[in-house]
Amino acid sequence: MSLYHHAHIQTHRQGFSRRSFLRNAALGAMTAGTLNFHDLMSVSAEELRQQGRSMILLWMAGGPSHLETFDPKPKSASAGELKAIQTSVSGIDISENWKNTAKVMQDVALIRSMTNKEGNHQRASYQMHTGYIPSGSVKHPSLGSNIAREIGNRELDIPTIVSVGSTNGAGFLGVDYEPFNISNPGSIPNNVAATVPQKRYQKRLGLLGRLDSEFAGRGGEVVVKNHSKIYNKASSLVMSPQTKVFDLSQESASLRQEYGDNNFGKGCLLARRLVEAGSTFIEVRSNGWDNHQNISEVITPISKQVDTGMAALISDLKERGMLERTLVVWMGEFGRTPKINPRAGRDHYPRVFSAAMAGGGVKGGQVVGASTPDGSAVEDRPVTTTDLFSSICHSLKVDPKKENMSPLGRPMKIVDGGKVVTELFS
Amino acid sequence: MMSFSMKRATQIVCIFLFSVSIPLCHSSTFAATKSSSQSKNRQRVDESILAEQVDQLIEAELVKSKVKPAQLANDEDFLRRVTFDLAGRKPTTSEVILFGLDSNPLKRKTIINDLLKSEDYAVNWARYWRDVIYLRATNARSRINQNEFEAWMTTQLSENKSWDQIATDMLTATGDVRENGETALIFAHEGDPAELASETSRIFLGIQIQCANCHDHPTDKWKRNSFHELAAFFPRVRVRPVRDAMPRSFEVVSVDQGSQYDRRLQMFEDPSPLFKAFDRNRDGKLTESEVKRSRLARNFEQMLTRGDSNADKALTIKEIKNIALPANTRRATPEYLMPDLNDPTSAGKIVHPVLFIGTKAPQGLKDIKRRETLSKFLTSKSNPWFARAIVNRLWAEMLGEGFYMPIDDIGPERSALYPEVLDALADGFTANGYDLKWLYRTITNTRAYQREMQKKTPEQMHTPFAAQSPTRLRGDQIFTAITQVFGVDDLQTSRVRDRRYRGNQTARGKFSTLFTFDPSTAQDEITGDVPQALFMMNSSTINNLLGTSSNTKLAQIAKEFTNNKDAIQELYLLTLSREPSKSEMKICQDYIKSTDNRNEALEDLMWSLVNSSEFITKR
Repeated sequence: MSLYHHAHIQTHRQGFSRRSFLRNAALGAMTAGTLNFHDLMSVSAEELRQQGRSMILLWMAGGPSHLETFDPKPKSASAGELKAIQTSVSGIDISENWKNTAKVMQDVALIRSMTNKEGNHQRASYQMHTGYIPSGSVKHPSLGSNIAREIGNRELDIPTIVSVGSTNGAGFLGVDYEPFNISNPGSIPNNVAATVPQKRYQKRLGLLGRLDSEFAGRGGEVVVKNHSKIYNKASSLVMSPQTKVFDLSQESASLRQEYGDNNFGKGCLLARRLVEAGSTFIEVRSNGWDNHQNISEVITPISKQVDTGMAALISDLKERGMLERTLVVWMGEFGRTPKINPRAGRDHYPRVFSAAMAGGGVKGGQVVGASTPDGSAVEDRPVTTTDLFSSICHSLKVDPKKENMSPLGRPMKIVDGGKVVTELFS
Repeated sequence: MMSFSMKRATQIVCIFLFSVSIPLCHSSTFAATKSSSQSKNRQRVDESILAEQVDQLIEAELVKSKVKPAQLANDEDFLRRVTFDLAGRKPTTSEVILFGLDSNPLKRKTIINDLLKSEDYAVNWARYWRDVIYLRATNARSRINQNEFEAWMTTQLSENKSWDQIATDMLTATGDVRENGETALIFAHEGDPAELASETSRIFLGIQIQCANCHDHPTDKWKRNSFHELAAFFPRVRVRPVRDAMPRSFEVVSVDQGSQYDRRLQMFEDPSPLFKAFDRNRDGKLTESEVKRSRLARNFEQMLTRGDSNADKALTIKEIKNIALPANTRRATPEYLMPDLNDPTSAGKIVHPVLFIGTKAPQGLKDIKRRETLSKFLTSKSNPWFARAIVNRLWAEMLGEGFYMPIDDIGPERSALYPEVLDALADGFTANGYDLKWLYRTITNTRAYQREMQKKTPEQMHTPFAAQSPTRLRGDQIFTAITQVFGVDDLQTSRVRDRRYRGNQTARGKFSTLFTFDPSTAQDEITGDVPQALFMMNSSTINNLLGTSSNTKLAQIAKEFTNNKDAIQELYLLTLSREPSKSEMKICQDYIKSTDNRNEALEDLMWSLVNSSEFITKR
């Protein structure tokens, strides 16, 4: 126990530096009790790490229209040009572009009563990633970073948290939980492949180590210690046989076809491979959902891409017996106005929108909540950002009330408020 | 080279002797300065005198704590440190050699002055302030005026505008953000009064008052009111899109006349004028027939449904007052509304501007007047926090440790290390008219700044400034150093498209995105990360410059210096601005001997030096 505790402080000091620790201790907010608390947390966290739970977030950047995705209103004045289609679950209809997802609806739960107040892209994306409203004084960690910190496998060579497309970061949790960014899914990420043969690369690292220890001897020991920790992590990634996880050519051509030959589809396939290899949180981003103009035309190709990738991902996970442990969440920063604007588009609309979830213990084939017949407000069972986040934590067995210390010494819960949407799991 | 090092050693001794002789001659001046700083009429203070005073105070404290201060750093270390700190770059090989050879005992003073005169100084610190502001921006689109801010700040610094002037310009800024760099802070927070209150206080006063946004500050004396009274300086600032601007732009404007929403708000708060105007029968009730042709007619029915509690189809003053208004604090209001925590949906109560150090502005001021008043309060010589905040910030940036940590949390309930040193510097800075170059000169001339690194003993954890604390170079400084090492003007960028931040698509911008950290972060929390290491180790950007097959800097060195020892020496001077130690020389020579390809060995050596801890560290 004490040995583990020691390692914990050594390697996981983000947001909990010596100084802030001392300050907090001095404040009396956290005294000797802290250590016990940490020991306790470590034990239960260790058990959770063994369970290999993980999450894949499919992020629709720009704010996907609920009316053109999972909450169509074909009979109302809000209907656009797109029709609704039936799904594998009778009574649940979705927009016509989502034919593949329609076939796996028995595994998907739709939330049609998401509601929020933020209608600005950056602020809403921040909130929908972190659970907090942006503030200049605290950089809140994204939920993914929190999850990776709570249940991620620390011994993994490959990153525990990955994002296909750039996203919100670890905030005050620090660099250990910063998402590893991939811009071209399918190939080995930038700078991961060594530029010289492995033997020479190792020789270089040896030389670097010897020169660095000279600098440590001159008074730079703390700097050198940190530096070599990071270089060890980086070079074990470079030399790890596990980096082949990034290489999608190892999958059959037919499966790659099923996911779709585009960045989103490749991202989804990569996400599955990463989960298999032990990563904890993967975000796959799709751009182009900010449809202020010609929505029914513009939204069709991107919807089809996401539909293909998402449905393939869910079936693939299920086939491999991984869906129970892997939570897939589809969402964006807000919905779009029920009224079609003069440019045939829809504008930002946080008052009501949809999200979709599959796997991770979520009961598929159901709809939670409802919007009004014109899709302009929540009619039944409003679900807030923090409700959704609490539910995600519930699925992953992460305690949403766990507090981390912000750099100013203010304890911040992983999710501040909110209630688990229990229907999702019953 | 041997004699060169000998000479250098003698010079260090000279400087050391010279600097210890100062205290004797100036001890009386020191006393005079101290008393005059307490009187209202502060005199300008010479930086050498103050630097000496600072050192005496620090050294006395070290003696008390039984900590032996490290000796002064050698010329190589000092030159690299001060060149990075003041000019944001590494010294060139010839600068290192010439500085070592220079026998002038005042050469450190001279180089400090020269560096402060260079354009590099202004650019380096403008980039620093860019990071201070934008890394806390609450809206990412504010990056569109990042370059304008950098250019504006560079001009201010190179003209040596005083710190109070710079602060005032930023707080009173208006206009198109693409043309007025000084709008940066306001634009970064979309003109939001609460965010501006916390950032103004954090950056210019080092006081973190934002906790008091929602509750009385848990560890400081601030009440919730104080925060909102500070926010009340900004309710009339607005950021709005510039119509038809290509490329898209925004402007910071003042909105002094209240919006329709405000007039309504006022009406609900005090409906008595309505009754004077429309309650013809003076029965204390408004009816539909009474308001028929007035501005109330359109909404009267709605008001009845929401407010007519006794259903008599008429509204009393009380009934109107009770009509709940939607929360609307982000909307245009001429006065700041402090949210009511017990009733978050209500409009909140009007709060008038007061700066928490105890200065109150007249009520109802126009936007610009209001922000000018705030700037005046903030920069007033009677406000000690203004000078303390910047002194603590710059001192910590240059020495790696501040009087207060974190550097932007120095509020009244925090205690400083060496408080009298901080006060002496802050008083001197104030007396010198908030002259930034004076402050840089004073800090860099202290022995505290010029000491060598040392392994820290446990005592030193609580008594800093006994030795130089190695600090991480900022992203821009590393980028510049890389271009210097490889002798290129810029680095190549890979073709990654990101439409949103076209402004950052320069090689420097991308590098900066990868290597930047918030400069307000404490040094012990800055550790670098894996993607940075991967970039330095494996990126084609770096590796293309490392090869000896094309005409690179390394290829030239390999050709020019046929003797291994000379080549190693040259590489050390080029990358780390110093000569290798004996043991380093041996490690490198052995390495070259162990391979059968000299060029490959030199590539490996340069790779290791560029990837070393020392390369990205200010020593």
